[in-house]
Amino acid sequence: MVLLFNISNGLIVGLFYALMALGLALILMLNNVVNFAHGGFMTLGAYVAFTVEQHFGFWAGLPVAPFVIGALGLFGERWLIRPLYKRPGHLYSLLLTFGFALILEDVSRSIWGAQGLPFAIPDALNSPLSDTYFFITGYNVFVVIVTAVAAGALFALLRFTRIGVRIRAGMTDLETVSALGVNIYGLRALNFGLGLFLAGLAGVMAAGRLGLDPTMGQGLILPAFVAIIVGGLGSLPGAILGGLLIGVAAGITSTYFASASDAVIYLIMGVVLIFMPRGLLGEEGIGE
Amino acid sequence: MSGPSASSATLPRTAPASASRVAWLSRHRQSVIVWLLLIGAPLWMPLVGSYIQLGSQILVFALTAMALNILLGYTGVISFGEAAYFGLGAYGSGLFLKYVMPSTLLAVLAGVLLGGIAACLVGPLIMRRRGVYFAMTTIAFSQLFYFVAERWNGLTGGEDGLTGFQRQPIDFGFARITLEGAGFYYFALFFFALTAGVIAAILRSPLGHTWMAIRENVRRARYLGLRTDWYVWAAFAVAGTLAALGGSMEALLNNFASPQDLFFIVSGNFVIMVVLGGMGTFWGPLVGAAIFITAQDYLSSLTANWQSFVGVLFVVVVLAFPRGILGLRRGRKRA
Amino acid sequence: MTMLRLDGVTKRFGSLVANQGISLSLEPREISAVIGPNGAGKTTLFHMITGFLPPTEGRIWFDGHDMTGVPAAARVAGGMVRTFQITEVFPEATVVENLRIGVETRLGLNARPWIPRSLRAEVSRRVEALMAMTGLTDRADNLVGELAHGDQRVVEVTLALSLEPKLLLLDEPTAGMAEHETESMVALIRRLHSERELTILFIEHDMSIVFGIAQRITVLDYGKVLASGTPAEIAADPRVQAAYLGGEA
Repeated sequence: MVLLFNISNGLIVGLFYALMALGLALILMLNNVVNFAHGGFMTLGAYVAFTVEQHFGFWAGLPVAPFVIGALGLFGERWLIRPLYKRPGHLYSLLLTFGFALILEDVSRSIWGAQGLPFAIPDALNSPLSDTYFFITGYNVFVVIVTAVAAGALFALLRFTRIGVRIRAGMTDLETVSALGVNIYGLRALNFGLGLFLAGLAGVMAAGRLGLDPTMGQGLILPAFVAIIVGGLGSLPGAILGGLLIGVAAGITSTYFASASDAVIYLIMGVVLIFMPRGLLGEEGIGE
Repeated sequence: MSGPSASSATLPRTAPASASRVAWLSRHRQSVIVWLLLIGAPLWMPLVGSYIQLGSQILVFALTAMALNILLGYTGVISFGEAAYFGLGAYGSGLFLKYVMPSTLLAVLAGVLLGGIAACLVGPLIMRRRGVYFAMTTIAFSQLFYFVAERWNGLTGGEDGLTGFQRQPIDFGFARITLEGAGFYYFALFFFALTAGVIAAILRSPLGHTWMAIRENVRRARYLGLRTDWYVWAAFAVAGTLAALGGSMEALLNNFASPQDLFFIVSGNFVIMVVLGGMGTFWGPLVGAAIFITAQDYLSSLTANWQSFVGVLFVVVVLAFPRGILGLRRGRKRA
Repeated sequence: MTMLRLDGVTKRFGSLVANQGISLSLEPREISAVIGPNGAGKTTLFHMITGFLPPTEGRIWFDGHDMTGVPAAARVAGGMVRTFQITEVFPEATVVENLRIGVETRLGLNARPWIPRSLRAEVSRRVEALMAMTGLTDRADNLVGELAHGDQRVVEVTLALSLEPKLLLLDEPTAGMAEHETESMVALIRRLHSERELTILFIEHDMSIVFGIAQRITVLDYGKVLASGTPAEIAADPRVQAAYLGGEA
């Protein structure tokens, strides 16, 4: 029972990792940027939802936060990331987003305080659905559904809409897409916003589960990196798979060897890199 | 006058010895100034309102930033996980002093070995990655070591860090050096000089030339028949080993090792020191570390939000000084 | 012993046939050219010879060894060295630094973190000799990326020479060059052949260069060998005139 409890816990945390990794991977694949500030934006999303909730309730905060964060991404990309595309190498965008990670954490801290805050979720979602399996709460099911819908919507967007098709094409060969007359600057800005939308969504849902804290993003960003590496570079489904895998693995480990539950994520990454250097679903030649 | 070149033509013909000395000085002017400033620091630092412990702290970080410059500036790969090897060096030395033997020099060796071996082992797993993926993988592996340090309470003291060890005076038989104040500064300066010497020597060697080739054009280097992955591994191993030496100094300076030493934020700080001073310039990391540590020391006494200022520093450096302070002077582009 | 021999080398990309059953051979100290209109499969053929692409069918022999499955880097070690259509050098290093890498690779020193003064002097001596041979001495301390295009190509050829090849493969050595640059490159290739007795195979589309240097010419068209022979034979061949020389006019 304890094991089942921890697995379900791990699964939920894994969904947060997956959502974060999905946004990061989108940005990585089209914008060629490792967005270190992803965690900072996630935290900001959680706090935005918190503030909105205090005035208008949970059901208002849930949709507002992702849109606010997504819009920030859209403008941030335009003014800060875009000037860096023409610089050689990837170091500068890395440093820039790293700087923003520090700034965002500090901003969250000075506005909302260093202390953790509780994030209220509606009673309807708060009760266990089963007496035996007490850990299957309405909120957990809700998280599963929202994540599945978000991921499903993303894949539908990428497959069936014109913009989505362009984003996917740009991930393979940006120059050709540009040569075909597509405004790749707009496309990249939009994609950055889309990635941050997912970060905002992850923020709201993680807040309902883990509470609010200025460093919550820091705790999720690196497992999201690992999810991408384990799942396979250049694969969006891989990011989800990787996130779930390490979430559950950490959950199982916490049953038997609690103090290693954080480290085990990185051990799994090491093992995967030894035996499957491209990750579980990675494509040939990416990042090599 | 019929000197062989314009510069020697202006020198008196009768003094070839002093002429060559002048030429040597002008070629190495930057290094001479740096060494004079470093050796004289215990004298001049108090005069400008600073203190020598800050000087020691700058040396420790400068040493590590110079090690990182091997990767960022000379091999052209982005490591964002150097704090791991720095921190392992700190724990290696601290644990040795606490549990094995109260010998400062052997403790340094233990720290260097621990961090160096870890870097050697991680290297093969990351050396095939390129660009941002290399950065991501280095940072992710650094977190493995961070969590070991933070969670293995019984050995490492967990979140609170490792305490209960004390650097010991060094006894040569004929002389005894207490490592306090300026004494520790010169102890750290010795290892800093050792590091600078090792790096300078390697950069002049075929291995250093090979790193340069990888930085300049990795494809071309492969077409020459070079197995570039393994040279990246060598760079990672050397950088990690020297970073561990820096970490060992850090533990001895504070008589304390913290899991925060391994945290990825510290890795980012090392990167910004290198970029601020000038990637691929020999003294850039020292300049960057001096500015960063001084600013951090000043800001953290002034405001609780100093982390924002550090973040702003990152943004300003990226947007305004991408080549760094010494890189501006030289004007050679670096990727 | 034959330096290079291709037996029925074929490359297919899906249903597209880039090269079909190509056979040719090159004797030591021979200088030979592959010509053909754009899209004739010259570069694909070059990539297969040098190990950048595996052939779909056929075998490639070099210096008495079957090289068909051998990776590019190992072919370099065996003495098969190429240059590239788009110049591949170390742009932000000086000419000396570029060539030093080649010399140190040739001497197998790359992994050494320290070398004695005598060995260092030997490396410098070889770099000086290389620069003297190709006329780069004046530009020794210039950054290669800041040199004129023609000089960059000379650096690339010299970098290839620093590996002391048995067979030198040049991929359009005069591409994008000004007229005077072309002339000096042609003179350099001739000199390498006559003085250094190198075996050289090159791709070129400038007919005057090919006929001026090559002892033997292979004409490709639509991925197949259309004709092969001495410059005189090729110039007289009606099929070549129809397919290539005529096509140009």
